[in-house]
Amino acid sequence: MKNIKRKKIAPKVLFIISALVIFFQWAPALVIILFSFSSNKLGVAWDGFTLKWYGELFTNSEVKDALIRSTVIALITVVVSTLIGTITAYGLFKLHFKGKEFIRTSSLIPIVMPEVVTAAALLVFFTRFVHIPLGYPSIIISHIVFSTPLAVFVILGRMQRIDWAWEEAAMDLGANRYRTFIRVTGPQLMPAIAAAAVMVFPWSFDDFVITYFVSGIGSTTLPIYVYSQMRFGATPVINTIGTLFVVVTIAALVISRMIERRT
Amino acid sequence: MEVSENTSSSQNTGVVKHKKRFPVEVFLYISPITILLVVFVFAPLAIILYFSFLKTGLFGEIVYEFSLENFKEMFSGGTRQVFLTSFYLGVQTNIACLLLGYPIAYFIARYGGKWKIFLISLIIIPSWVAYLIRLYAFKTIAGTNGIINTFLMDWGIIDEPIKMLYTSGVVMVGLVYTWLPFMILPLHASLEGLEPCLLEAATDLGAHPIRRFFRITLPLSRGGVIAGSILVFIPTMGDWLVPALLGGSKVMMIGNLVAHQFTVAGNIPAGSSLAVMLAATLILILYLAIKWGGKEAMENIV
Repeated sequence: MKNIKRKKIAPKVLFIISALVIFFQWAPALVIILFSFSSNKLGVAWDGFTLKWYGELFTNSEVKDALIRSTVIALITVVVSTLIGTITAYGLFKLHFKGKEFIRTSSLIPIVMPEVVTAAALLVFFTRFVHIPLGYPSIIISHIVFSTPLAVFVILGRMQRIDWAWEEAAMDLGANRYRTFIRVTGPQLMPAIAAAAVMVFPWSFDDFVITYFVSGIGSTTLPIYVYSQMRFGATPVINTIGTLFVVVTIAALVISRMIERRT
Repeated sequence: MEVSENTSSSQNTGVVKHKKRFPVEVFLYISPITILLVVFVFAPLAIILYFSFLKTGLFGEIVYEFSLENFKEMFSGGTRQVFLTSFYLGVQTNIACLLLGYPIAYFIARYGGKWKIFLISLIIIPSWVAYLIRLYAFKTIAGTNGIINTFLMDWGIIDEPIKMLYTSGVVMVGLVYTWLPFMILPLHASLEGLEPCLLEAATDLGAHPIRRFFRITLPLSRGGVIAGSILVFIPTMGDWLVPALLGGSKVMMIGNLVAHQFTVAGNIPAGSSLAVMLAATLILILYLAIKWGGKEAMENIV
């Protein structure tokens, strides 16, 4: 009897724990969205509905500059990372060669290494070794460094689910490798590539730590702007920018999921 | 190469095995990532390793001669304390993430049903939002005028706000909040592979649910536990934003020291040696974890 009773209780207890954990994960993001519409002057409590902070957001030229800068950086990163990611994933999946495992494992370094270490290494590299000016060049290179592995692993994961018989059929029928890729494999991989591209965008757009180290003076991206404002305490404008980040990230993940679903 | 009967099996059918493989082709596909890794990952790491053995002169200039000064300083007083704090916070966070993450991973794997993907998405999505923003929100909630204090005071549970920020407790909660999803995902992956018939068999043979958990479920999800611990411990011990925003100057972690040396003090040798020491500690821990956990852990990561 005792066992049977326990069996019924266990899923409920687990469900409650899970619900609490999910709530714990979502609460801050939801609070920031809620408070971005609050007329409270510090943006830390609910004092009634307003849209004035969004109005302030669009008239603030510093925010506009930072937003444009972040977007440009993220778009360039998306293009380069996805391109390298596709080529690499294809090579890692299809070819056998010495050192394959090494490249696979090494690609994990920029993802696994604590951000401060990567950031410090890149900063010293840029300023003391290659003399790449801090600003757009250093930020974009750094973003490509930590975004490409993401693209590689996203595409590699999807490649395992593709029906490779089509490619073989094309080649058996006499199409060369190039033609096969353009006509068969490429279109098959397109959803995976698009999904990776859409995922890289927030990965780059949201980054603060590495960007903060390598940005130098004057290249304020949106997260750096937020950080600089935080020193003056809480302001409602941070909530509106925060809402933008939450919306952009969720949209990107949902779109990436939808692209994949379609196939 | 023959076309296999099972068209959907990809692993082997997809890989072209010609007798002669043009190295040119390998070169074409692999050179971009190799250049990226060698130039922008390995070289920068080698350079901070080099700089960590230099020292700073009287006027803040870098003295280009071999010195162990930075490392000696690390083992004395303040810095050693910061290292220990980081390590303890890493361990505590890891345990908390395991205790919180296991039930939810188990729930999703066992009872998720058709909601599985939805529940996993609910855990992944917030973790992707810029963590600077999430921590700012966290701070708003836990602050003196934050929601928690306002709520408790409105209900008359407390008379004056509890001071939560800038304590090691709140830093740990912040770390758990930030890195918990990285524990749940590999745990879920390993529990997903658990055969339900094994549990049924154990029950039929009369095993108590608690015994069943410790004898079957837990050992079989060892890979997930180790993988999750690796994915949580490394970023936790090396975290900077969580202690910087929630700990202020009261709770310092190595990340704070590294960031301070590079972005405020501009002492490259000292900052490099801290970063190198941090990376070395984590690589050692990673090595031990993989050695102990074997391949099963890596399978759950990649």
